[in-house]
Amino acid sequence: MSTRKDIQEALKAAFPIMLGYVAIGIPCGVMENEIGIGPFFAFFISCTFYSGAGQFMMSPLILAGTPLASIALSIGLVSSRQMLYSAAFSPFFASVRKRLSVLFAATVTDESFGVNMERYSSDGAWDERKATLVNIFSMLSWATSNALGSALGAALDLPLDVMSFGMTSIFACLLVSQLAGTTAVVVCTVSFIAVALLKLVGMGGIAVFAGALAGIVAGLVFEEVASHAGA
Amino acid sequence: MQVHSFWFLYILLLVPMLIFRVVPLLVLKHRDLPPKVRAALGLIPVAAFSALVASDILQLDLWARDPARGLVPIAAVLIVVPVAQKSKSLVWSAVAGMLAYACLSYAVSLLG
Repeated sequence: MSTRKDIQEALKAAFPIMLGYVAIGIPCGVMENEIGIGPFFAFFISCTFYSGAGQFMMSPLILAGTPLASIALSIGLVSSRQMLYSAAFSPFFASVRKRLSVLFAATVTDESFGVNMERYSSDGAWDERKATLVNIFSMLSWATSNALGSALGAALDLPLDVMSFGMTSIFACLLVSQLAGTTAVVVCTVSFIAVALLKLVGMGGIAVFAGALAGIVAGLVFEEVASHAGA
Repeated sequence: MQVHSFWFLYILLLVPMLIFRVVPLLVLKHRDLPPKVRAALGLIPVAAFSALVASDILQLDLWARDPARGLVPIAAVLIVVPVAQKSKSLVWSAVAGMLAYACLSYAVSLLG
């Protein structure tokens, strides 16, 4: 059972994500309304599929008449980065019950990954219950905002680019907190270059996953070379 | 799109997403990982955030339409970085980013 203190700490950690999800969840719901998804189903999809990028991609692809297999493949490629997040959390869940591990893993997003990773690295008392609560609070905020957006429909005219930049800023803040040491700078630089190149050659769908992988490989190579040079 | 087609698409999207999210954690959590793998897992956060930021700010379609518009997200993130360093706050970073993006977009539209 989670205590009141756990809930308060998790709510405090999740708060920036929840605000961001309101800002981008409502426009996402408006787009879902355009393809006939009502508030109840928008809430349901947001709680189960629960993918900002995936849900944003879905509506224009359906409206454009894209074949189902192409939609699934495009969104699947974008979602592949989730494997990295799941793997990164595995050391923290070594002794955690399977059911809680599954609930936690199934509700990780880019943003909750960042906040929970930052908490695990800076707070020795951060645990799986608080981490899962962060995921659940974030998910409820996302799902409620999607439902609201779907209910209000085209009556809303929101500057989506400005609102979604709020999430980019959150990623930038989390990146700044991780940039300690030369290896991190190498990883960051190579990831940036790899993403740019992948987008230039029209492989934007896998740019985040493949760019991050390139950065990780570069970081490992750099550490290997540095350890040999220092030996 | 018909209702049954949409449900089919929903399953096509949901199943891989759950596999991506759940399987790596369940497979790796009980294993005694070699040092190299542990080192790689430790690099995931910085690599993932770098890739996410890069993907968000390098918007080639904006560049193609208007290079000045393409510069807006890059310039805005350069404003976010010192705010993030100083405040260490996700909320203030998000507020600064959205304000910077809105102001820069407005400035570019005035120039255009």
